[in-house]
Amino acid sequence: MTDPEGGQPWRLYICRACGFVYDESKGDPDSGLAPGTRYEDIPDDWECPLCGVTKTDFELFEKSAPTEAVAPVAPAQGTGIVVVGAGLAGWATVEAIRAQDAEVPLTLVTACDGDVYHKPELSIAISRGMCRDSLVRERGVDAAKRLGVRLLRQTFAVGLSPALHQLRTTRGTVTYTKLILAQGAKPALPPMLPPELCWRVNDLDAWCGLSKKLAAGSARVAIVGAGMVGCELAEDLTASGHRVCLIDCEALPLAGLLPDAAAVRLKASFTELGIDFRGGGQITGITADADGARHIKFADGATLVVDHVIAATGLVTDSRLARQAGLAFDRGIQVNPETLSTSDPDIYALGDCISLYGMPCRFIEPIPHQAKAIARAALSLPQEAYRHADPVIRLKTKSLPIVVHGMPKRGGDWRIVKQDFDRLEMEQRMGDMVTSTLKVGKAKAA
Amino acid sequence: MDSVAEQTSSFPWLEDADVLAGVTEVAQGPLAEAAYRIDQEHYYPTDIMASLGEAGAFGVHLDRYGGRYDLALKAMSEIARVCGSTGFLTWCHDACGLYMEQSGNPALLARLDDHARGRTMGGTGLSNPIKSLTGIEKMILTAKPVAGGYVVNGTLPWVSHIARGQYCGVLAGVDDGGDAPSREIMFLLDLDERVDLRRCPEFSGMEGTSTWAIPLVDYFVSEAQIIADPAVPFIKKVRSAFILLQIGWAQGVIQGSIDSIDEVEDVLGHVNQYLDARPDELRAELDDLTTRATSLCADPYCEDKDFFLQVLDARAQAAELALKASQSALLHQGARGYLMKAAPQRRIREAHFVAIVTPAIKHIRWEMAKLMREEMPA
Repeated sequence: MTDPEGGQPWRLYICRACGFVYDESKGDPDSGLAPGTRYEDIPDDWECPLCGVTKTDFELFEKSAPTEAVAPVAPAQGTGIVVVGAGLAGWATVEAIRAQDAEVPLTLVTACDGDVYHKPELSIAISRGMCRDSLVRERGVDAAKRLGVRLLRQTFAVGLSPALHQLRTTRGTVTYTKLILAQGAKPALPPMLPPELCWRVNDLDAWCGLSKKLAAGSARVAIVGAGMVGCELAEDLTASGHRVCLIDCEALPLAGLLPDAAAVRLKASFTELGIDFRGGGQITGITADADGARHIKFADGATLVVDHVIAATGLVTDSRLARQAGLAFDRGIQVNPETLSTSDPDIYALGDCISLYGMPCRFIEPIPHQAKAIARAALSLPQEAYRHADPVIRLKTKSLPIVVHGMPKRGGDWRIVKQDFDRLEMEQRMGDMVTSTLKVGKAKAA
Repeated sequence: MDSVAEQTSSFPWLEDADVLAGVTEVAQGPLAEAAYRIDQEHYYPTDIMASLGEAGAFGVHLDRYGGRYDLALKAMSEIARVCGSTGFLTWCHDACGLYMEQSGNPALLARLDDHARGRTMGGTGLSNPIKSLTGIEKMILTAKPVAGGYVVNGTLPWVSHIARGQYCGVLAGVDDGGDAPSREIMFLLDLDERVDLRRCPEFSGMEGTSTWAIPLVDYFVSEAQIIADPAVPFIKKVRSAFILLQIGWAQGVIQGSIDSIDEVEDVLGHVNQYLDARPDELRAELDDLTTRATSLCADPYCEDKDFFLQVLDARAQAAELALKASQSALLHQGARGYLMKAAPQRRIREAHFVAIVTPAIKHIRWEMAKLMREEMPA
């Protein structure tokens, strides 16, 4: 901008004391200097409007080239790897990272205390007389110390902004270079099962709450859902002296996995144990009476009164974080089956919270392999691709062991390979290829 | 409504851009001029608030003026960008309007237009009740049912944007003679001759927010003042909107801080490049916050737990960023920002207020943890 007379361009003068810039084009109207007042025309007694020094402490100011380009353009990123979830998957990842790198800063964010335990044990622990102390293999704080991890316990991850590399938690915002989601899955509770009346055995704290109640003596327990966890719990609690009613909307237990021929054997084995299996049971609601007893109402008008209700109605991945962060989600956080990276290149996921080829995979076996692959990727180490293999499914029912290999198609044709009174072997085929096998019952001693 | 003329008269702030331009003009003009006096000299800017009300700053979030929460947040941000105290007063005023409208009480609805236009003023005394309802502290006011209403007793420690002749929304626990309150009621407390406002101790700044203690002795509440009875379902309905609005205030403090950094970039950029929390970073974080806050404005009365969590998360992020940005602005400006009349040091105190006013960062985190925990049988 030049002055209207076409003379010298307007100049800037900077106060050497405080940095205030006097702009000749703007003047300083507050002290009576009209816009357009040249520096030389400023009276000697004029004072810097900011700090009060006089004109002689000003010098000509020439704008330097902007320094913005020197500064990082991207938002600052915290250095280090942040893992969300301290279940088997979270700890396996931390172990795998430490096996490769003793130095990289690691933060583990967990809603619980982070105690290390083997989750599959929870469904068979009561009959074995286990307690919190015997289930916990290592306390979270001790594991954190051993592995050099900053452990944020009793801390919930509430928000995620991938562009900023920020994870917001109930104990403040954590920044990351790589984020690993091992948040697990949570019980899917249908609306007719009120959370305040139904136990879910999906973590150690919940198991401890239930086991404390059951320690009071033989109780009437209803287990809703005859999937793997429901069946295992039914046997576990029966063996502990409780009277168990196992309810499922399907006619036979484990109907989603087993062909009828196998499920019939499981049902018979339950009957023998004294488990009251109620197939085809449509629950419409549950209420508690003044004594705390639970009244389960069925669509056919029947009512069942018990002391405790356990819901084993399956798991879902909480989509909150993923949705907020705009991560691809399809029944689980979608990951690349070879790299386990999510739709954001700096975020990985493993364990119960992911979906592979559009399917969740909630088994223990793949977890260490996934953790290893993620650890190498997060540390930018060369690696072989993760290869997902269908895990072996073992039902931990002592009375009637069940083992499934492969991933059987629901409703697919099962062929009996062998059967006798104690044992049943079946297989599913696709063309000439055996895709799944099933063994029910104890293998006979040779 | 039959005619266009009628619609226009009851719908004065049709164009978002006009509202924003009007609000910005007042903010950059008289408000900028008065910011120091408001912060330090107990100047309660009711004249400026009246102009802001006329421009639409206090009306656009109301259902009757289009329920434009995004615009309300932008307007509040333009105000707080210049003066955090007035940004806070704007939030108080907006929250009070929200109670009046959502009450559905015809007597309060009749007063809403004057409130929305800034012709009458009132704030909100919900700090204690909100903390009380989530289990952090005890409800201070008690209400005894009497013929035609309630008699209320107790002293609220500090309530802002109030004065003799003004009003504010408050809650009281109903004493039916039992050990614990049978329920809560919410009402518009008219600060008439029955109430002697008590001066608060001096605060570190924001002195022009007209903050007083309210001692109530046998104060009669009539049906015309009732906002909600029982109050809990009402609070559940408005709590997200109440908290969401505060984000506009925080956004202004953050934007003002970025302005202060930009202001000295030409002069001090060569050394400021060595500082943390540079303007690019702050801008990226503010954009992230703004995107999320704007998306939440679409349905502010949603009562879903998940929505409430998102609002709390954004509100906490806003407070954290206000602290970070204001701190950074002072470091960028150096001594010049430390002068008593300079904005950066004032903004640091404003940001602290953003972070500690109900819901404070710690309360938000407590509430989020509570909401995230899975409910199990007792």
